[in-house]
Amino acid sequence: MGGAMKRLTLLLLLSLLLVACAQILGIRPHDSKPFPHHIHVAKGGVTCTQCHVGIMNATDADPNHLPDTAKCVSCHAKPHDARDCKECHGLEYVREGVQSDLDHLKFSHATHDKRLKGNCAYCHRGVTDDSDHVRPPMAICLSCHEHQDDFAEARTCDRCHKDLRGEEVRPESHLAHDGDWLREHGNRAFSSKELCSTCHADKFCASCHGRTVPALPERMAFDDPLRAGVHRAGFESRHSLEARTQPGLCTTCHNTGGFCEKCHARNGVDVGSGGPSPHPQGWLGTRGERNDHGAAAWRDPSVCASCHTGAGEQLCVSCHRVGGTGGNPHRPGWTSKLRPTIDQPCRSCHEGAP
Amino acid sequence: MRRVVLRRALAPALAMLWAVEGVAAADPYRLRVDSVGYTQSPQSPVGLIVLQGDDKASPWVDAEALAWAGNTNGNADVLTALVRLHDPRNYGELRLGRQILAVGSMRPVHLDGADARLRAPTGTSIEAFGGVPVQPQFGYKPWDWATGGRLGQSVGRFTTVGLSYLQQRSDGRLAYEDAGFDFASAPVPWFDLAAHGAYDLIDPGLAEAGVSVAGRFGDVRPEVYATQRSPSRLIPATSLFSALGDTPAQVVGTAVKWRMFPRLDVLPTLAARDTAGDVGLDGTLKVTLRLDDRGDGALSIEGRRQGSGPDLWSGVRAAARVPLSARVRWSTELELVAPDDPRGRGSLWPWGLVALRWIPVEHWEVAGAVEAASTPTANREVNALARLSWAWGAR
Repeated sequence: MGGAMKRLTLLLLLSLLLVACAQILGIRPHDSKPFPHHIHVAKGGVTCTQCHVGIMNATDADPNHLPDTAKCVSCHAKPHDARDCKECHGLEYVREGVQSDLDHLKFSHATHDKRLKGNCAYCHRGVTDDSDHVRPPMAICLSCHEHQDDFAEARTCDRCHKDLRGEEVRPESHLAHDGDWLREHGNRAFSSKELCSTCHADKFCASCHGRTVPALPERMAFDDPLRAGVHRAGFESRHSLEARTQPGLCTTCHNTGGFCEKCHARNGVDVGSGGPSPHPQGWLGTRGERNDHGAAAWRDPSVCASCHTGAGEQLCVSCHRVGGTGGNPHRPGWTSKLRPTIDQPCRSCHEGAP
Repeated sequence: MRRVVLRRALAPALAMLWAVEGVAAADPYRLRVDSVGYTQSPQSPVGLIVLQGDDKASPWVDAEALAWAGNTNGNADVLTALVRLHDPRNYGELRLGRQILAVGSMRPVHLDGADARLRAPTGTSIEAFGGVPVQPQFGYKPWDWATGGRLGQSVGRFTTVGLSYLQQRSDGRLAYEDAGFDFASAPVPWFDLAAHGAYDLIDPGLAEAGVSVAGRFGDVRPEVYATQRSPSRLIPATSLFSALGDTPAQVVGTAVKWRMFPRLDVLPTLAARDTAGDVGLDGTLKVTLRLDDRGDGALSIEGRRQGSGPDLWSGVRAAARVPLSARVRWSTELELVAPDDPRGRGSLWPWGLVALRWIPVEHWEVAGAVEAASTPTANREVNALARLSWAWGAR
């Protein structure tokens, strides 16, 4: 008996755990609590316009015509509860979606009804099976509207969307920025600039890629940790690791002309400000000693350039000029169309050389 | 615990965001002022004010601007200030002012100048630009300029190819001269391909290239990509360090986005990286759980292993964004990084942030945060951040 009780208790706990997991993960039977359209329309013989009064003449400037409690009790004369019907019946996010569409789309039921002649289910297909997806997805629009042609013709989404840039809504069904989008977006944008600009203004790109003050989103949206960004979390701590791992990546946005140097000086991480050298031991050695700087410079010269620019280059020239002790810094097979003794930076080392 | 770094412990962490937005859909004017304050930040200002605006005055003209002011030196500067004149059907467009130009596979250029674009009904497009590369504080040098363009062609509905060119001079001297191509195609709804390449014409060789292939199979979106980047070609040819020569870094990797459950996304990535013959594997695993259908609340945990390059490290990061009520949202981030070779910088670098956002009344928003870290340069570091916001109109 005790064993049976234990098994029963365990089963009960497991069931509760499963229910809790399903709730957390969003797993639920379809149509968990939608408004029962099917019962009203197919079984009750109620027409759409009996509840959604005025919808057939509604334009995109009209209200959403969702029925209120007064409309419900006009038939359900003895409601079983004193609360508003919508507190239990229908799904809040469906109502929010309806309002969102009204706010953002140029849409007129009146225009559509002229063609569909009262066949609401042509677009609202979820009505027939009591689905909670009553609001037509964009794919339904595209079954009639040649969206591809519209975009190919005018390179704009303005025909249906009131103000995509202002909406700041992430697309759900198409152009979704899935996966590792931060890394991927450049490759996708090279050929699709016009597509990107339908939603993103220039300042959106400039806030990261701009030269005067890059990485604005990270500074402003510190309270949204799930927002994607290259400098999130403890980037300051690990920036040297990341810079060395991905050569050239930092110079995509940051000027090589002293960006790193200024910051290091401000924080006392450079020799000039009396702080420690950012270079490890064995960085610069004479013959027979450890001498890591050459290999590191070949690996990512942009890191060197970020501090040793301008007058700092003379540090290199003092050893690596033609005839100097530093040897030839060029990689094997290196060529350039610049003139060695005339053009800069070549003549820094080659001037006066044969 | 060697020392406490709190350079401006009681400095005012004040932030302000104003957004004044035209409500009427036909007149989408938007103005927004952000001001954020940090008690300390090595590369950020103590206070930062950002002003941005949009104006779509008519079907053929719109304008935008974004300016900022108030860093530690009291500087101010402009990120974008742009007027866009265009045919309502977008067959022709002229952009004048400070702008970011991403023309084909050329590197993004921040430019004060003009960009003109023409598009033919046959799918051919021509773009040309010219101007002065942006220098902070309008610190132009004489004979700094950049010019270039792109010739593009759409092939059918689903494919685009383009050829692009960029020449940039610094003080009259050739700094960049690149030619490139770009290609994108989505022949079927579940598959797309994008590729680009930029060729350095000064020291002839491939400066940067990439290809990305992605599919969509129900709730799974796999992507395979490869990139090559030559850092010596990404710095100006006027820099002495460009003479060191070509050492490209190559990466081949994959990323898979899997919506495992309606509210649970899993994103594993794996990449093999070859940098100057030093080959290693990098990988991440990120799991995001949305706490509601819209994703207003969410939890995320991410593990990362950087197994390539001279500095190997592992890290784990957790983040949470939890609405406590319709007007209050709590969020936090925690990160632990462990370098393989500490070299006296500490064996574990923790970083954490706790933030609260509050909407006291409509249009207003207040956010505050405290972050704490133990970094390679400071044993203990504490920072306070704050933002005050005012938003008006639909957003």
